[in-house]
Amino acid sequence: MAQRTELVQGTLDMLVLRTLCLGPLHGYGIAKSIQQVSNESLQIEFGSLYPALRRLELKGWISAKWETSERNRRARFYRLTAAGRKQLVREQSKWQNFIDAIASVMRSKTARGEL
Amino acid sequence: MTIGAWFRRLLYLLPGYRYADDSDMEAELRSLAEIAAADGARLGNLTLAREDARAVWGWNWLAGLAGAMRYALRVLRKERSFTAVAVLSLALGIGANAAIFSIVDALLLRSLPVRDPQSLVEIGLGSNSYFTYTRFAENSGQVFTGTLARHADRRDVDFGSDLGGSPVPANLEMVTGSYFPVLGVLALYGRTIGPDDDNRSHPSAVAVISYGLWTRRYGSDPSAIGRTIRVQRAVFTIIGVAPPEFFGVVVGSAPDVWLPLSTFSNVYPGRNWLDDRSLNFLEILGRLRTGITAPQAAAALTPIFVQIQLERGVRANPRNSAVKLFAAAKGMSQLRYWLSKPLHMVFGMVALVLLLACVNLMNLQAARVAERRKEFAVRLAIGASRPRVARQVFTESVLLALAGGAAGLLVCRPIAETLLALASSGDPVSLYLSFNSSLLAFVAAVSIAAAILFGVAPAWRSTRGEILPAIQQGSGAAKASPVGRLFSRGLACFQVALSLVLVAGAILFAASLYQLTHLDTGLDRSRLLVLDVDPVEAGYQGEPISALNRRLAARLAALPGVESTSFSFNGVYSGRNGDSDIAPEGYRSGNPDDLHAWRDEVGPHYFSTIGARLIAGRDFDERDDRTAPKVMIVNEEFARFFFAGHNPVGRTVSLQEEWPGSKIARSIIAVVKDMRSGSDIREKPERYFYVPAFQTKPAPFSTRFLVRTAGDPRAQFSAVREAVRVEDPALAIGSVDTAVDLLNRTLNTDRLIADFSAAFGVLALLLAAIGIYGLLSYDVARRTGEVGIRMALGARPAQIVRMVLSEVGLLAVIGVVGGGIAALAMGKLVSGLIFGLRPGDPAVLASAALVLICVALSAGFWPARRAARLDPMVALRRE
Repeated sequence: MAQRTELVQGTLDMLVLRTLCLGPLHGYGIAKSIQQVSNESLQIEFGSLYPALRRLELKGWISAKWETSERNRRARFYRLTAAGRKQLVREQSKWQNFIDAIASVMRSKTARGEL
Repeated sequence: MTIGAWFRRLLYLLPGYRYADDSDMEAELRSLAEIAAADGARLGNLTLAREDARAVWGWNWLAGLAGAMRYALRVLRKERSFTAVAVLSLALGIGANAAIFSIVDALLLRSLPVRDPQSLVEIGLGSNSYFTYTRFAENSGQVFTGTLARHADRRDVDFGSDLGGSPVPANLEMVTGSYFPVLGVLALYGRTIGPDDDNRSHPSAVAVISYGLWTRRYGSDPSAIGRTIRVQRAVFTIIGVAPPEFFGVVVGSAPDVWLPLSTFSNVYPGRNWLDDRSLNFLEILGRLRTGITAPQAAAALTPIFVQIQLERGVRANPRNSAVKLFAAAKGMSQLRYWLSKPLHMVFGMVALVLLLACVNLMNLQAARVAERRKEFAVRLAIGASRPRVARQVFTESVLLALAGGAAGLLVCRPIAETLLALASSGDPVSLYLSFNSSLLAFVAAVSIAAAILFGVAPAWRSTRGEILPAIQQGSGAAKASPVGRLFSRGLACFQVALSLVLVAGAILFAASLYQLTHLDTGLDRSRLLVLDVDPVEAGYQGEPISALNRRLAARLAALPGVESTSFSFNGVYSGRNGDSDIAPEGYRSGNPDDLHAWRDEVGPHYFSTIGARLIAGRDFDERDDRTAPKVMIVNEEFARFFFAGHNPVGRTVSLQEEWPGSKIARSIIAVVKDMRSGSDIREKPERYFYVPAFQTKPAPFSTRFLVRTAGDPRAQFSAVREAVRVEDPALAIGSVDTAVDLLNRTLNTDRLIADFSAAFGVLALLLAAIGIYGLLSYDVARRTGEVGIRMALGARPAQIVRMVLSEVGLLAVIGVVGGGIAALAMGKLVSGLIFGLRPGDPAVLASAALVLICVALSAGFWPARRAARLDPMVALRRE
């Protein structure tokens, strides 16, 4: 089993938006997809995913519709809206800036020499 | 957050939307759980997920609040008697506060409903001559954009003159043509009086009526314009109706009718005051130019004023010829002057009463919380947070306070009107008491403050303490924590202290009123009747007035049941005054203000009729007429001031007289004991002299006859009126009063304060008694076991009673001491309102303390007796 990684605060929304970018999914599907794509290293708590979905829906970034799944089950499928797509671009660039900044600090050699 | 998101949030407030969303959510979660189960996974606590998802909408607090409200309403409905007591006491407390606030707001805080009230100033305080007004109006253009003058009076007006009605008294305001334009007040209907109407050579007989009169008399009929009204023999045509909020420029006396000042001699036949430079009867207001301050304007007006005084022939005194300007933004008001301090006083008293009511409620709430400890413990045990339980208790307090506030709003208007009616026996006081936003804000603020005051501490205490013991204990015998007992005892002491302050105030004001009503004013006011007769309006001028007064005095003296009669210009206990510049023989002073004294012109046998005491010399009699040697009688203060206390009889005083129009010397024939016969008997008597009325030119004013009766003066009212009518039916009788009534009328404010503080003092005693009774009943119920043990060990009922009462006594004494200290500290607040005793009067404080201790002991007696009557076996079994 892969090593478990704690989710960085505030990234759940971005992960959900990114996952829905590939196509509509229901709530359980989203959780499963994130877990699979991260090679099981990101464990998504459904208890926090579900309120996050409601929050994104309230903000108008995702929309939901009752549909039938491939296994012939009815479920509420979420898809990205145009506003959500824009939001994803914003969050992605913010995230990129964040990891670049962290990375440049971690890689710096001038501060106190090599560790 | 985007607009769309806000809109969806608002949608969520709709119950239909919320329920649909909720069931949608439930269906979704169920379907997901099935999918996950098929996948061999579990989703965890779905109920919590749903709760959290609901919280996303941000209305959870509202839903919680609504729940708390519903529950609080249910609790309050169940405990009807508690709710009724709480709401009623809050309604009275908040209503009284709101009533006083609305009066204070109307009288002291609100600006005049005119254009730019901030730039209005009053020239000097008091009245001026018409000549002074015209000169100011002509010459003040540099600092004022306009000036106006007014004269207000209450006169008989016939509103149905075109229908043949009868005259009724109405408030008249005679105004210059500049009045409405300068104030910037436009007519609601028709037009206002303008400069063209107020024309000295062609005065137009027009009138503007108030909105109140228009609705009362004319049923709000616009055709009132064009109708006529009659004042004396002059007929005026109504040309307009003033707007509803406009009450003139004097707060507390709303005119019914405005008339052009130029019609003065039509309204007052025989009184040519507009041409008399010496008569002060007008108030003058100016509107400052933008950028000019009141001191700048005053400096610019002073040389004009000096010139005016010179032309009027008034003694120029550099000290009092500087013009003073007073802000008139809130209007001018006698009422404000004499009600301001009493109102603040009463405001303080009602605030204390509300505080007392709140303390009582706090005790009641605390007791209820203690009773419900088990309920709260259960709620805490099954997972309610402590803040949530506290919120529940506080919500009940807020609901009570809001209900009390709403009821208070309903009763505040009647309370305010009663208060005003009490404050104004005699002249009706009309204040524009509106139901405005500041009143609503005040009531809301007071209600919330009350809720915080009596709700926070019990709410906080509801969450204290261990859960388990509370559940295990029986509901009735909850043991009080030491902190809780100390807290409720502290509150009881505080109540006693508050009540002591109010009771001491009540006793103080009652004692002060007693001192005033029983004050020796230097004359005998029992069996004395005062009759005001106006010869001027009936056409008398000059010498015939003297002859008329002589005939009337003789007629009145001849009435059966009348012992003697005299008359004077000022009368007694009235606001009328006259003064003269004088030069007493052998008196030198560098200060021109010293050469001055108050005066009155009086008829024969004046002093013996009013019962004044002559120290030396003789009373005036019929011999002191025009041809006799000129004489005067002075008071003790006059003799002390000018003659260093030596007997002044035989000395002379020279003064300017209109008859014969030059300086004459009068010799002093007697000294009279100082009298407090003015409109304020608190004032120390000033130097005063009296001259025989028949030796002076009669002034164009009414004459006041003083009639000494053998029995009740009221029995003579109709006989006296009839005597005047027989003399000349045209003579107008201004008023007939007993001297005692006249004096009492000058004490209206004192009586008002005494009545109110007595009412509040009794209310405070009642509230304190209820508080102590409640505390002890609760205490005794909780200590049933202890009392049972004591009795089983042989304590007699009397000992139990003594035990409980000694605790009450201790509480009362602590409260009385605290309240006494507070009362002493607050003494300064009442110093100007009491007469004849000091604020910290030991007898007053001691009697207040005695009253409170008695009330506390009797309030504690019933619970004590209940404890003493316990059957020890029953008490012990309950433990």
